[in-house]
Amino acid sequence: MIKKGRGMACMWYPIGFTVMANPSAATVKVNTDGTATVLTGTVETGQGALTVLGQIVAEALGIATDDVHVVSADTDTTPMDYGAIASRTTYVTGNAVLSAAEKARQILFEGAGPLLGVPVDQLKAVDRKIEVLGFPSKSLGIDEVSQHCEAVIGTPSIGSASYNPPTVEMDPETGQGKPFNTYVYATQIADVEVDDETGEVEVKRMVAVHDCGTPINPMLVEGQIEGGISMGVGFALQEEILFADDGRQINPNLTNYIMPTSLDMPELEVGLVDNYDPTGPFGAKGAGEPTAVPTAAAICNAIYDAVGVRITTLPATAERVFGALQELKKAS
Amino acid sequence: MNTRMKNLNKADKTAITAKETSTPIDKKDSHKVPTDNPVTYPREFPQHESRMNTQAVGQRATRPDGRLHGLGQTQYIDDIKFPHMIHAKILRSEYAYAKIISIDTSAAEAMPGVFATLTGKEIPTNSFGPTLQDQPVLADTIVRHRGDGVAAVAAVSEQVAEEALSKIKVKYEPLEPLFDVVESFGDDSPRIHGGDTNVYASKVIKKGDVEKSFAECDHVFEERFTTQMVEHVPLEPHASIASWDGNGRVSIWSSLGRITLGRQDIARTLDIPQSKIRLVGTIVGGNFGGKNEITNEPILALLSRKTGRPVKAVYTRGDEFVSSTIRHPFVMDYKTGVMNDGTLVARKIHILLDGGAYCSWTGTTIGKGSILSPGPYNIPNIYVEAYAVYTNKTVTGAMRGFGAPQVCFAYESQMDTIAEKLGMNPLEIRLKNAFSDGSSSPTSQRLQSVALKESLNQASERFGWQESEA
Repeated sequence: MIKKGRGMACMWYPIGFTVMANPSAATVKVNTDGTATVLTGTVETGQGALTVLGQIVAEALGIATDDVHVVSADTDTTPMDYGAIASRTTYVTGNAVLSAAEKARQILFEGAGPLLGVPVDQLKAVDRKIEVLGFPSKSLGIDEVSQHCEAVIGTPSIGSASYNPPTVEMDPETGQGKPFNTYVYATQIADVEVDDETGEVEVKRMVAVHDCGTPINPMLVEGQIEGGISMGVGFALQEEILFADDGRQINPNLTNYIMPTSLDMPELEVGLVDNYDPTGPFGAKGAGEPTAVPTAAAICNAIYDAVGVRITTLPATAERVFGALQELKKAS
Repeated sequence: MNTRMKNLNKADKTAITAKETSTPIDKKDSHKVPTDNPVTYPREFPQHESRMNTQAVGQRATRPDGRLHGLGQTQYIDDIKFPHMIHAKILRSEYAYAKIISIDTSAAEAMPGVFATLTGKEIPTNSFGPTLQDQPVLADTIVRHRGDGVAAVAAVSEQVAEEALSKIKVKYEPLEPLFDVVESFGDDSPRIHGGDTNVYASKVIKKGDVEKSFAECDHVFEERFTTQMVEHVPLEPHASIASWDGNGRVSIWSSLGRITLGRQDIARTLDIPQSKIRLVGTIVGGNFGGKNEITNEPILALLSRKTGRPVKAVYTRGDEFVSSTIRHPFVMDYKTGVMNDGTLVARKIHILLDGGAYCSWTGTTIGKGSILSPGPYNIPNIYVEAYAVYTNKTVTGAMRGFGAPQVCFAYESQMDTIAEKLGMNPLEIRLKNAFSDGSSSPTSQRLQSVALKESLNQASERFGWQESEA
């Protein structure tokens, strides 16, 4: 008989390396036509990091994402970066590209101030213009200003900066310290169906509400969450590397190592909490790893709710759930 | 909207209506394009509104790389070819734990189509690792798991290289392997890396007084949770190309996710200055933590130096499973003290990490796993003790979450056990104990920008948690 159940799990997750310095550096150059080039040593691993970094620079310079070209991942041309790891790119590399863009913008302001007849601190970059604060009719195109800085004054608009999240070492005896600068939070809730004759579990629906600070690109955050849940479903129900007695892996292939396919994916409802972290670029934190964290716990809590067996060893394969159901029968 | 924006929007509309895949080929170009190949690359470039807005943050901006992936224009390493490039394969160990007595590559070298072989003894600094450099690039004295490479071959094709591997004769003296994490933690276990213990990383977190609190609280819950080994399974396996030039400088294209530290590691293994290495991180077909340390880059670099040719290697799915890193299995003992009203007052946690054959990213995994293990709850008394031990199994390293999915499985499963015993709603017990702004973490960090209760409430609302209550 098919039994229905529901279960929730929440979590917290840090951004960046544990205690260890993990800086990122970046360079931003505003071209004379008002477009910009970013140099970053991080690597695009499919998560859309370069798009996010471009959006951060565009926002700082008051130009569009498409006006920014991001060059990445070449030790001959790009500045150092500790890489696409530890959910750190939006936060750490993001803070670095933001500072670099602000430095480039400052050069534009210094060039535009005398032309507009106002002090440098009375300017802002918006809508592809350098504009007088509170008096938008007085402005110059960012292209004109950039051209002026480079070809008339001789100070091209280039900014370089780095960022490292501040931490405090953990005491070796007690572990007390500040290992990370910030954390993100999330809750996932699963709806499952369990066949109490076979032990088979099907995840029907998952609701996931995550905090990532400001979502620089909500579409990419949602993509991360959906991908994380698929990984979480595999961890919860299917995936396991098995070993023979001689230490050989038994299933090192995709025929016998069972991963979720699109057919195993539940219906997903993804939401983002409204939050702003003042230490992140435009309030952003990160979203990579945490999306896969609470899924297995939520599913196993739903299995318990459905059939009353507490799975304490992952994965909750049909065999394992069936075995637990048999134990439960014996006990009652 | 300025003129430029208007023009771009116009371009957008044109592009979207253009039929890109059926663009007729100009007659004058037709001799350049094979007529039996229906693929023509687009000549229109759509502009998306999401990328054109000058308020950039918060836009659902499309990815420039996404379109290239869709069109098949992205160049992964498997697509990159250089003139005179040859291919490498790595021979893996026949034993989980053994001494290497000898390696004879002469028959492989004599094979037509084979350019060079490489063994660990030829690698200037034959060790690597992000915290402990305990892993050989190619094992030369001892193999500690079945995924250890023992020799490499560079040949005219992957097939020839693969065949040449079967001609390499390795003599082993098998040792008694150790697979069980609990056994490895024991006092009498054989020491996989020598020394007086198999424990190679540990962490303690201590806050308040758990024992006193257990004695005073209303209920104590004790459970053991265990998790399994899983693979990252990126669509694109590990891949790299190395090309040593006439100035003694080596260029490496790699699927590595951290090139700055990767170049340092490669410079160390090759014993050459960092300035002599160009490392390019190519477009990666999935990482998930598995591509965060060097693998075969130094091997390819040395084979390229030996042969004077660019050398490429792409892992098979089998290589990916057995020789790349995987997720640490955890054995977790949770003991939690709770008051009748559901307030958590103490949590004592013991974690044993199956560290596999080498350290890799265990330091980070044990750190994050321990710090996060009490859960996002205000618990005044905490004691966490975690140990990572060597076993003769696949190397466990960085994987999406660094221990967090394992400990979350434990702390959140136990939250439901507690809620049921106390007759509380799972949402209620979580909200009662959840972190909020200003909460003190297990390491006594004052937390800011905490949005846990908001996520619990919003998720419950969207799910219809209260309505669906049985």
